[in-house]
Amino acid sequence: MKPHKSQTALQNYLDGLLQEAQVELQEARQTELPVQELESPQILPTLTTPAMDTVVKEPTPDLVVAVPAEAASAGEGGRPYWADQPFECLLFDVAGLKLAVPLVSLGSIYPLDGDEITPIFAQPDWFIGVMRTAAGNLKVLDTARWIMPERYNEKLRDNFRFIISIDGHAWGLAVNAVHESIRLQPESVKWRTSRAERKWLAGIVIEHMCALVDVQALAGLVGEKEKAQEKK
Amino acid sequence: MNITSANSSDDPVLQWVTFRLEDETYGINVMQVQEVLRYSEIAPVPGAPTYVLGIINLRGNVVTVIDTRQRFGLPSAEITDNTRIVIIEADKQVVGILVDSVAEVVYLRESEIETTPNVGNEEAARFIQGVCNKNDELLILVDLEKMMTAQEWAELDGY
Repeated sequence: MKPHKSQTALQNYLDGLLQEAQVELQEARQTELPVQELESPQILPTLTTPAMDTVVKEPTPDLVVAVPAEAASAGEGGRPYWADQPFECLLFDVAGLKLAVPLVSLGSIYPLDGDEITPIFAQPDWFIGVMRTAAGNLKVLDTARWIMPERYNEKLRDNFRFIISIDGHAWGLAVNAVHESIRLQPESVKWRTSRAERKWLAGIVIEHMCALVDVQALAGLVGEKEKAQEKK
Repeated sequence: MNITSANSSDDPVLQWVTFRLEDETYGINVMQVQEVLRYSEIAPVPGAPTYVLGIINLRGNVVTVIDTRQRFGLPSAEITDNTRIVIIEADKQVVGILVDSVAEVVYLRESEIETTPNVGNEEAARFIQGVCNKNDELLILVDLEKMMTAQEWAELDGY
């Protein structure tokens, strides 16, 4: 590992986190203002009733948290929005399991040849490191640790051969192998109607008997975890 | 024992599909059994609980297969030529249970079934419906609906 490269990557990564924190702080302040106005007796209309007073509460944490991953990607009948019509999927392997992910949710595929990923100290175990790409820094997720913790072992990291970036997010999934892309009809998937657990699991591709991953939901979960880590 | 007609409402005859796990024979109500399949490759589902072996494709339908040994608190075993997947309907769901072998359908009168003491500490004890001596063997009758909690059944629907 070259010190110069890692220092630059580290600086870029920290700069990115700093900007995100500033945006969130601004949003939180804007969200709090309307509640404070309601609590002021001078602003409330004269028709104030006890019922209305009980409704006016201090802002709950939910007001400042990002949209839950499930709500962000859920469509009709629990299907993601991209599943209302036939859609293309990419098949890939993680820890010996075949997974499918919709192409519309993906960005680019980066091969891993050597030391493209720079590990960052004091990070959670599901965060492998940062990869510099032409599109910017990509935070690499240990996909196996997120999706199949029951099958996880440390040696799985040695076999990651590709990073698949998630569209619209600065995250990339580390995978072992990439296979073909297939076209799926919505009816060829057994969709999950309830995603209380494992929000990233959209359904099962019947013909291939593999899990269909909602990577946007996964990215949302990772984002929540990221924020939780920052607060510690 | 009172001698009555075969299908007397006072002492109805019930049919039970029997299967083997480890060294014991278990029985499940035939009304819960849809079909019995030879063992086929089970595709694992990432993130599933330990008692879920995976899924199979049954004529275009995804069926979750449960590790019955794990549910009954038994150690895992190798797959053999006798291993079967019993497709059952429980809690309004169709699931498969993996068993060592399927034996026969037995006919039991209600009066032949003895209830077991409700003092077991193991979770598995909650779904034992009773026992019966048949052909010099003790048959353990299980209620598959109680093999899992309502929440566990609900989670199964998501696989």
